[in-house]
Amino acid sequence: MYRYDDIDAAMLEDRAAEFREQCRRRLAGEITEEQFKPVRLMNGLYLQLHAYMLRIAIPYGTLNSAQLRKLAWIARTYDKGYGHFTTRTNLQLHWIKLKDAPDILDALAKDGLHGIQTSGNCIRNLTADPHAGATADEVDDPRVWAEAIRQWSTFHPEFSFLPRKFKIAVTGSETDRAAIRIYDIGLRLRRDAEGALSFQVLAGGGLGRTPYLGSVIREALPARHLLSYMQAILRVYNRHGRRDNLWKARIKVLVASLGAAEFARQVEEEWAKTDLAAIDLPDTELARIRAGFVPTGFATLPAASAAFEAAKRESAAFARFARHNVMPHKQPGYALVNVSLKAIGETPGDCSAEQMDLVADLAERYSLNEVRVTYEQNLLLPHVKLDDVPAVHAALASAGLATPNIGLISDIIACPGLDYCALANARAIPIAQDIARRFEDPVLAEKIGELKIKISGCINACGHHHVGHIGILGVDKKGEEFYQLTVGGSGDDDAAIGKIIGPALAADRVAPAIDQMVEVYLRERLGSERFVDTCRRTGLEPFKEAIYADAH
Amino acid sequence: MKALTANRLADGEVVFWSDGDWVERFGQAEVFADESAAETAEAAAKSQITVAVDPYLIDVAETNGGITPVSYRERLRALGPTNEPGHGKQAAGGADIALLARASGAARSKGRVELIRRK
Repeated sequence: MYRYDDIDAAMLEDRAAEFREQCRRRLAGEITEEQFKPVRLMNGLYLQLHAYMLRIAIPYGTLNSAQLRKLAWIARTYDKGYGHFTTRTNLQLHWIKLKDAPDILDALAKDGLHGIQTSGNCIRNLTADPHAGATADEVDDPRVWAEAIRQWSTFHPEFSFLPRKFKIAVTGSETDRAAIRIYDIGLRLRRDAEGALSFQVLAGGGLGRTPYLGSVIREALPARHLLSYMQAILRVYNRHGRRDNLWKARIKVLVASLGAAEFARQVEEEWAKTDLAAIDLPDTELARIRAGFVPTGFATLPAASAAFEAAKRESAAFARFARHNVMPHKQPGYALVNVSLKAIGETPGDCSAEQMDLVADLAERYSLNEVRVTYEQNLLLPHVKLDDVPAVHAALASAGLATPNIGLISDIIACPGLDYCALANARAIPIAQDIARRFEDPVLAEKIGELKIKISGCINACGHHHVGHIGILGVDKKGEEFYQLTVGGSGDDDAAIGKIIGPALAADRVAPAIDQMVEVYLRERLGSERFVDTCRRTGLEPFKEAIYADAH
Repeated sequence: MKALTANRLADGEVVFWSDGDWVERFGQAEVFADESAAETAEAAAKSQITVAVDPYLIDVAETNGGITPVSYRERLRALGPTNEPGHGKQAAGGADIALLARASGAARSKGRVELIRRK
C-alpha cells in the first residue's frame, strides 16, 4: 500500500510541532479563541457540544493495519474507547481534550495520519471507490489519481482560501461506488479502444440546503492532464464563486447559475492558457505513486473454493453473510469482505478500539494488510481468500461486526446529529437505531432487499439524506425534533435527489412511517424491483397515503 | 431566568457559571432571575479567555420541582449523548441528572443560533 514519502513525513512532523506551539500559546492566553480557532480547525479539531472533536483524514478511505491500530490506540488512550467513521471516510473522535491534541497529532504523524484537509475552505480529503484495486470492472486504480491530487492540493497556496470547502471523489469504473455526482468535482476513469486512460469530469454536485447532482463538463480528459484541468476548474471557481453569501458559495451554485456548458467553456478557456507541463504530473512521479498501490502477495488460486461453498451449505447465517457482505474480486479465489458497522441497535459508523484492533489483525492476517472505509460508514477487507472467508466471518461475528446487512434496510447512514454536533437541529442516531430494530429480522430485511436509508440531523446533509432511497432530515420545529422524509433519491449510478413526501413527522412516528412505506412497496412491487424502482414507477402517492392516512 | 454556560478551554467540558467560578454540573449552576446580573456575569466570563470558550446565556425555567434549561439542546449538553448513557455528565447520576432527564418540552436555544451565526 502507498506510504507517505519523506517529504510528507517531514511535513506532518513540522505541522504537529507547529500545532503544539499554537496550543501552548492559546492555553497561556497569548492568542485569543478567535485567532486560534482557524488554526485548530485546519488540524481537524472542532469544538462540539460535549468536548472537542478530532476529525482524522483517511485519504481515499484506505488504511493499513498499523494505521488502524494507531487509531484504536488513540481512541483508547485519549477518547472513550471508540471512534465514528463518517460519510467522508474520515474518523471522528468525539471526546478529545485540547491539552492532549498535540500528543495525538504527534502519534498520528508517526503512522502517516493527520487531520489536514478535514476542515476549512480548502480542497478536502479525497474519497474514492472502496473496491479500488480489487474489482474486475475497474479500468484503473482511482487511488493513484486521488493520491496525486492529495499531494498537489495539500497546503496549495492558491486554493487554501476558496469561497467554500471543496470535495472531490474518484471512481475507477463505470459502476459508481463513490457517489461522484454529489461532489464538487466527480471523476470517473475510462479507457478508450486504444487503451488510453481518460477522465469523465463532473462538476457542481453537492447536497446541503440546495442539492444538485454534478454535470459532465468534459467527457474524456486525457488522464495525464488531470492536475492542470483541476487547476483550471478551481481557478474559475475561485474567481467567480460567491463569497458574499455562505449558502451560495459552493461551486454547485456557480455551475447552476452559469449553466454547465458555460462553466465548462470557462474552464476550457482557462485551461488553454495553462502551461500544462508545469502543472501536470511527470510520468516518473505517476509511476512512483502507482507502484505504491499495486497489491503484492496474491496467491494463484482456483476461482472456486470448496471451503467457502461448504460453509455456505452448513450455515444459513454464513450463507446470508456471503450473499450480502461478500463481493467478487478480480483475482480468482479472492473476495471483498464487508465489515458492517451497523449492528442492530448500535450507532451507525461507530467502532470500538477493540473492534478496530480486531479488523487490523484480520487485515494483516487475511487481507494483504489493507482495510477500506466506505462512505456508507462501513469497513471493508479488500483482499480475502475465499478459503479464509469462514474464519474471517467467525472472527467478525464474535465482535459484532458481521451483521449481514450491506445495502439492506438496516445499513443506515446517520450523521452524529444533535447527540454530538454543534450544528445539528435534531438527533439522527436514535432514529437509525429505531428503524434498525424494527427490521432486525434478517429474513425480512432480505425480502425487502436493497433499501438505502440516509439520515441527517440538519440541512448540511452530512448524512446524505437527499440521495437516500428514503432520506430523513431532522428539523427544528419550534424547538422540537421533527423529521422530514424524502423518497426516490440515490447516490449511485441512478443518482437522483429525493422528493419530500409530506409534512415532517415527530420522532416516534418515523420508524412506523418507514414500516408503512415498506408495506406499500411489498404490496406494489413488480418482479425484482427495488424499493426505489417501485417508488419511481408509482410516484409518491401510495406511500404518502399510507403515512398520512390518519391525517385525512 | 438565565444560566451561563460555556465549554472549558483545556478539555472542552461543558461548564456552568457559579458565583465567579465554573462548575461541571448544571445542578450547581447559578440561576439569574435578574437580566442585568446575568449580563454582568457573561461579561466577566468572556474576560476569562484561558478558562472558557464562547460563554453564552441560556434560558432556564422551573419544571417538575426544579430548574432546568428550556431548550432540548441545552439539556442534552447538561446530560450527554442519548446514544451512550454511560458517557458525559449523565453517567454520574444523582437527583439533578434525574431532574434534567425527566424534563420535557423544548424550545430553540438562542445560544445555539448565536454560535452558528458566528461561524
